[in-house]
Amino acid sequence: MAIAKMEKLAVIGLSSEQGTFIEELMRLGVVQINAQESKLCDEKWNGLIQKDDAGKWVSKWEAELDRIENALILLDRFIDRKAPLIRERARISEREFDSTLEYEYEIRRQMLRLTKLSRRYSHMLLRENKAITARQALLPWQSYDIPAQDYKTQSTQVWQGVIPGMNDSADFLKILTDKTGYADAEVVHSDNEQHYISVVFYEPAAEEVQCVLRDLGFNRIALPINSGSVKEAIEELEAQLDALRDERKSIVEQVRSFESFEPTLKMYYDEIAMRKDRAVIREKFLVTDSTFYLEGWYPKIARKKVEALLLDRNCYYEITQPGKEEETPVLLLNKGIVQPFEAITKLYSLPASRGIDATPFFSFFYALFFGMMLSDAAYGIIITAGTFLIRRKYHLEGMLKQLVDMFFFCGISTTFWGLMFGSFFGDIITQVSTNFFGHAVHFPTLWFSPINDPMKLLFFSLGLGLIHVFLAMGISAYMAIRDGQPMDALFDTGFWYILILSLIGYLGGGMVEGAPAALPVVCKWLALGSALGIVATGGRQKKGIIGKIVGGLGSLYGITGYLSDVLSYSRILALGLATGVISSVFNTLGTLAGSGLMGALVMLLAFCIGHPYNIAINALGSFVHSCRLQYVEFFGRFYQGGGEGFRPFCENTKYVTILKEEL
Amino acid sequence: MNGITFDGIFFAMVGAAIAGLACCGSAMGIGIAGQAASGVVSEDPKKFGQALLLQALPGTQGIYGLLIAFVIMNKIGLLGGSGALDLTMVQGLYILASAVPVGLVGIVSGSAQGKAAAAAIMLISKRPEEVAKGMVYTAMVETYAVLALLISFLMLNSIQL
Repeated sequence: MAIAKMEKLAVIGLSSEQGTFIEELMRLGVVQINAQESKLCDEKWNGLIQKDDAGKWVSKWEAELDRIENALILLDRFIDRKAPLIRERARISEREFDSTLEYEYEIRRQMLRLTKLSRRYSHMLLRENKAITARQALLPWQSYDIPAQDYKTQSTQVWQGVIPGMNDSADFLKILTDKTGYADAEVVHSDNEQHYISVVFYEPAAEEVQCVLRDLGFNRIALPINSGSVKEAIEELEAQLDALRDERKSIVEQVRSFESFEPTLKMYYDEIAMRKDRAVIREKFLVTDSTFYLEGWYPKIARKKVEALLLDRNCYYEITQPGKEEETPVLLLNKGIVQPFEAITKLYSLPASRGIDATPFFSFFYALFFGMMLSDAAYGIIITAGTFLIRRKYHLEGMLKQLVDMFFFCGISTTFWGLMFGSFFGDIITQVSTNFFGHAVHFPTLWFSPINDPMKLLFFSLGLGLIHVFLAMGISAYMAIRDGQPMDALFDTGFWYILILSLIGYLGGGMVEGAPAALPVVCKWLALGSALGIVATGGRQKKGIIGKIVGGLGSLYGITGYLSDVLSYSRILALGLATGVISSVFNTLGTLAGSGLMGALVMLLAFCIGHPYNIAINALGSFVHSCRLQYVEFFGRFYQGGGEGFRPFCENTKYVTILKEEL
Repeated sequence: MNGITFDGIFFAMVGAAIAGLACCGSAMGIGIAGQAASGVVSEDPKKFGQALLLQALPGTQGIYGLLIAFVIMNKIGLLGGSGALDLTMVQGLYILASAVPVGLVGIVSGSAQGKAAAAAIMLISKRPEEVAKGMVYTAMVETYAVLALLISFLMLNSIQL
C-alpha cells in the first residue's frame, strides 16, 4: 500500500542488442532511467566510457513531428466538427497499431501532401491579401480614366496624389493655377480623410510645379498599375481575387478529403514521438565500443518482468536496495475506492520517499466532510449520476479520471447526508406542496435538521474534527516509532492525547448525566500530569536548562493550535447551512408569485436558475474547504511532502493508447 | 417626535441590511480577482476555467450575508404569509447586533480574499498545475468569514422571540 518500494537497477548489455532493448524497455514502461553525469566525471569510469549520443536522430524525429503537427493543425482547422467535451485518447490494439504503421512510407507521402497543401494555402492567402490591398488603394480612383501608359508623354507628366481632407479642394485648384501656369489639376474623388487629385503639368517646368505642390501639402501616390485605366485594373484584380478564392476553396476541399486519414496520421505522430523518446533516452546511456550501461529505478512489484526482459536481452545486471538516506522516486499505489483520492494528495505534493502516503487515511474523511458541507440529497444524486455517466461515456485517464471518480464517492456521501439532514433541493417539497397543494409535505429527515438545531451539528463537526486531528497525530506517532524513536511518539503525541481527552473530561464531564462523580477529578489530575509531561519534554532538544523550560512552555502553548485546528471544523456547519439556506432562498422566491400558472412559471424559473448556481458555488466551496481541512489541519501534523514523481520510460503517446495483448 | 417610533421590526430590518452589506466585500473581491483574471487570460485564453474558479471564491461572503439576512427576515415573519411579528425594541436591537459580524467581516474578508485570489490567478499564469495550492491560500482568508457567519447565526439562533 501507499508508496511503492523502489529498487535500483544497473545494467550492462551488448550494443548489438541496444535498439531492441530500448524498444522493449519502453513497451514494459516500468523503469525510470537516471542520468549518469556523475559517472562521466568519475576518474575510474571516464577513461572507459562515453555518453551515448543520438542527437542526430532526436533532431530528425523532432523535425518530422513538427511536420505532422502542422498537418494535424491544418486538418483540425478545416474539418467541421464539434470539439469534444473531454479529450480522450483513442484506444487501439497493439496489432492494429503495428499493421497500420507497416504502410509508413505511404502515410508519410500523404502527410507531405498535406504539408504542401498547407504551404499553398498560406501562399494563396498572402496573394489574396496583396490583391485586396491593391484594390483598396485603387478604389478611390475608380472614375479616373487616364490610362496608365499616358501618365508620361513627351512633354507632360500626370501625377496622382492626395491632400488632407480638411483642406478645401477648390482652394487647392485655385492656388495651383494662380502660382504656376504650367499645371492643371482635377479632383477625382473626395472622402472624409483625403481628396484624391490628378495633376497634369508641363515637364520642363517640373521643378516649379513640384515646389508649389509641396507647399500645398500634396502627397504623390504611385498607382499600382502599368497600363490601362484604373477601372480595368480593378476589374482585373477582382477576377484575380475570385480565382484565388476558388483555389483556396479547392484546397480546403482537398484537405477535407483527408478526414479519414486523420486517425492514421495521429498514430504516425505517436509512433514518431516514441521514436524520438527512444532517441532522447539514449543520452542517459553510457557506451563503450561494444557495450552499453544504464542505471535506473523500478518498483519492486515489477521485478519479475524486468528481470525476464534483461535475461531475454542477455544483459548483465545488478539490483540494489536504496540506501537509508537515498531519495527514491515516488509512486503511489492505492487500491479500490481509496485510489481516486490520490488526486488530492497529488494536488498538494507527493510524499517524500521516506514519508507516508496519507491517501488511505484521509479518503474517508474527505468524502465525509464534502458530503456534510454540500448535504443535499438531490445535489448528491446529480453529482453521482453525472460523474457516473461521464465515466461510462469516456475513457478518462490520469488525474481527470481520479477526480471524476472521487466526486462520484463524494456525491454518494452528499446524498447520504442530504437524507440525514432532510434536504432535497433545500425545502422544495415543503414549499411546493404548501404553495400549490395547500398542505405541507415534508421530505423525511432521518437524523435532524441543522437549521433547527445548529448547536448539535456544531458539536458533531468539532467531534469529527477531533477524531481527524487525533488520527493525524497517531500517524505522526507511528512515523516516530517506525524511525526508532518511540519516546518521541510518547512525548509529542501520547501526552497530548491524554491532555486533550482529560481536559474534555474535566470540562465536559460534569454536564453528562450519569457520569461518575470522580471523572472530573481524575481528569483534572491526568490533565495536570500530562501538561507537566509536555512542559518537561517539549524542550528536550534545546540546550541549557532555561532553553528547556522555555521550549517546554512553548510546546504547551501549542494547545492553542489544537484548539484552533478543531474549531476550524466548524466550517462544516457553516457551509452546510449555506447550501441549505441558499436553496430555501430560491425556493421561497419561487413561491412569491403564489399558486396558479404564473406561480408555477416563477417557481420553475427560480428553480432552473437558483439550484444550478447553488450547486456550482457550493460544490466548489465544499471541494476547496475539504481540501483545506486535509492540507492544513491534517497534513500539517505529520506530512512530509516534496517527493519526486516516478517517471518511467514508457510509451508516452498523445493521441492513442496502445492496448497490450497479454501473452 | 411626532409619533415616529422605532419599533423592533425597524431595528431587525436594519440588521438584515447590515448583513447584506457583506455583498460589498464580495463585489470588491471578485472585482479585484477579475482584473487579474482578465490579464492572465489575455496571455493564455485556455486558463479561463481555472481563473474563473479562483475568481468565484470571494463570492461566498455575499452568500453568507444573504443567508443571515434571509434568516432574520424569516425569523421576524417578513417572508411568511402571516405578516411580521410584534417585536420589542430590545429584541430588534439584539437582531441588529447579531448581523454585525457577518456584515462587517464580510466587507473586509471579501476584499482581502479577492487580493489573495488575484495572487493565486497570477500563480496559475506561471504554474497552472498548482491551482489547488492557490485555492487553499485563498480559502484560508475565508475561514474568518465562516467564523463570522457562525457567530451571527448562533447569536441569531439564541434570540427568543
